[in-house]
Amino acid sequence: MSGTGSAGRELEVVATEHGWAGRFRAMGSPCEVLLENGNRNQASSTIAAVAAEAWRIEDKFSRYRKGNIVDQINTANGAAVSVDDETADLLDFAMTLHSLSGGRFDITSGVLREVWTFDGSDRVPDAASVEAVLPRVGWSRVRWERPDLILAPRMEIDLGGIGKEYAVDRCIAMVRGSKCAPGLVNFGGDLAVSGPPTRRRAWKVAVEGVLPDAADHLIDLRQGAVATSGDARRFLVRDGFRYSHILDPVSGWPISNAPASVTVAADTCTQAGMTSTLAMLEGELAEEFLEQEGILFWCRR
Amino acid sequence: MVAADAGVIEMSNSSRKNNRSVSATLAAATCALLGTGVPAPVDAQEEPQWDFNTSLLYYGEDGDRVQDASLKSIIRRLFSDDRSVSIGFTVDALTGATPSGAIRQDTAQTFTRPSGNSAYSVPAGDLPLDDTFRDTRVALTANWQQPAGEKGLLSLGMSTSKEYDYFHLGLNANYAHDFNNRNTTLSAGIAMARDSIEAVGGAPTPLSPMLDVGDVSNRSGDQDKDVMDVVLGVSQVISRDLVMQVNYSYSFADGYLNNPYKVLSLVDGETGDTLPRTTPLPPDGGPSGQFLFENRPDERTQHSLYTQAKYNMDGKVLDLSYRYMTDDWEIDSHTVDVRYRWPIGSRSYLEPHVRFYTQSEAEFYRLSLDSSQDLPAFASSDYRLGNFDAVTAGLKYGWKTRNGNDMSLRVEWYTQSGTVPGDQLIGNQAKRDNYPDLNALIVQFSYRFSR
Repeated sequence: MSGTGSAGRELEVVATEHGWAGRFRAMGSPCEVLLENGNRNQASSTIAAVAAEAWRIEDKFSRYRKGNIVDQINTANGAAVSVDDETADLLDFAMTLHSLSGGRFDITSGVLREVWTFDGSDRVPDAASVEAVLPRVGWSRVRWERPDLILAPRMEIDLGGIGKEYAVDRCIAMVRGSKCAPGLVNFGGDLAVSGPPTRRRAWKVAVEGVLPDAADHLIDLRQGAVATSGDARRFLVRDGFRYSHILDPVSGWPISNAPASVTVAADTCTQAGMTSTLAMLEGELAEEFLEQEGILFWCRR
Repeated sequence: MVAADAGVIEMSNSSRKNNRSVSATLAAATCALLGTGVPAPVDAQEEPQWDFNTSLLYYGEDGDRVQDASLKSIIRRLFSDDRSVSIGFTVDALTGATPSGAIRQDTAQTFTRPSGNSAYSVPAGDLPLDDTFRDTRVALTANWQQPAGEKGLLSLGMSTSKEYDYFHLGLNANYAHDFNNRNTTLSAGIAMARDSIEAVGGAPTPLSPMLDVGDVSNRSGDQDKDVMDVVLGVSQVISRDLVMQVNYSYSFADGYLNNPYKVLSLVDGETGDTLPRTTPLPPDGGPSGQFLFENRPDERTQHSLYTQAKYNMDGKVLDLSYRYMTDDWEIDSHTVDVRYRWPIGSRSYLEPHVRFYTQSEAEFYRLSLDSSQDLPAFASSDYRLGNFDAVTAGLKYGWKTRNGNDMSLRVEWYTQSGTVPGDQLIGNQAKRDNYPDLNALIVQFSYRFSR
């Protein structure tokens, strides 16, 4: 979760053909809230509450913020940090994903970015420097006894892989409970709807064509959520080999033959986002994994 | 916690063999994280841009009667905002023989062909079939669909078809409106058609006799008819698993409604046998007996009520429908149709289908014309206007290919058997098999893909 400080936190509410739209930035992404019902006051207060929740989650869990719980954990230097319930729930969830993925989904893998920078260049690190970082990576090195977390010195956690989808689900629940439902919450392409729209047959969701020549997919969404993992602009190329930005925390090297992006539709945004991430981590077998799951997905290679 | 963690890893290793539990575990973990109940299941689908639907159909009646090989293709282009345009194309190749309407005789019979150019003969005791039935039909449809307001859907279409002896041109419009949170849909549609009947050899004067080969003095040029159909419908979502539909339709046809090729035998009032011709048979041939071309009223009004229920039982879908139709020709019909879609795995299904149909005969249906009585104003012996029952029974197997395309194979048997009212049977007719029963095989292969 990146993001600027609280400066620049602006909120825009406009009337649209189908109701109301609110726009703001959070977690490094453009965020959008669409509401079909309610008057301007109700829509404005619902959108303001959604934005406040998104910013709260960003402030609390962004690894770029000084003094928040993630910063306290990452700078504890081997000391135990006692965390609140919400953080504990996210850590429990991360632990489940770690085991579900056979260790490849790991919130401690962020330190690998010290040696890997995915900027389209050919700066592939040498094996020795990757090897040097690996001892600081791995959930199995973490002592997590709710509510106490102990990280070895110079290890770090990053909840960025979960936070945005978690925020979407928290916010869509607020929309669902408002007078302005049905609505849609979209944080940088990860989105959920509160239910079928009343003024149209379905919410029209465009999944951006991540490759320059790829056309957009249009998805009719009536219930549930859609999330995308992957970014075709983040990679390294060396000796004709393309290194994806999805790193395998076990080896410290990129997952080979990972799709450029995976978009998944699921009941909740968190499920959609985690499923797309798990699929990316399957590399070459991403589609097979998703097909076996019987999941609605759109894979780009 | 370390021990517990190891346990989870072990579980995950086995779960990776059965990925279903990845989804289940993730769903449970998400519920715990969000502190909410079980979320409503996702309802999403990619909006296709092109939809290609092609089917190949074979319809074959036994006993050298009608055979039809039909290729149908519908291409649909979908735009955003639910607008779409579709173009359909059908080619039918028809061959075979159809009952001419004349009755069986204990002696061989001869008939002049519809063209008037030659004659054909039918062996003693056989049902007279006109074997010149051979045609190619080409049909085109075009349809435009778009939302009208927030809850309306408007569609406009046209259709045209051409056969050797027939030309059809039609226009249609339909409007559907959703109410009640889209649980109720009301629809209204109208279709108008102008058809031209370009009968081979010209349309015969109604109730005039079949003439000798080369004599076309009772023939006239092209005929036409207008047909208007109106449909009013309501469909209602009763529950998550039950959808019902009721339609009322009204149809009015005006113009030339005869079949220009159908005749009736003019029979002796005592024996029921076809009256022989009164003049010697000319060298080029002609009818062996006296046959009169049929005549139907030039208007027909039909009303029909259709009701359907679709019931979803855990993925198995029961589709039940009933139609009642009545018209001012006094044909009443009842149709019951039952389909049951039974999924086999996630990619295929079996669908048994059975349909029962029964109709009463038209008021002017006659097996033959009694020469001892005045000729009625209207008369036809077309078996399709008679009293009959029909059963269709079949099975469809459908499957999804690995790349998401749909294929299906349907095999059905159709059997039709009718009876001629007892009071219409004269003399020897009572001992003959008068109604031309029909058995047919239907095989259809369909392929659909979207992109």
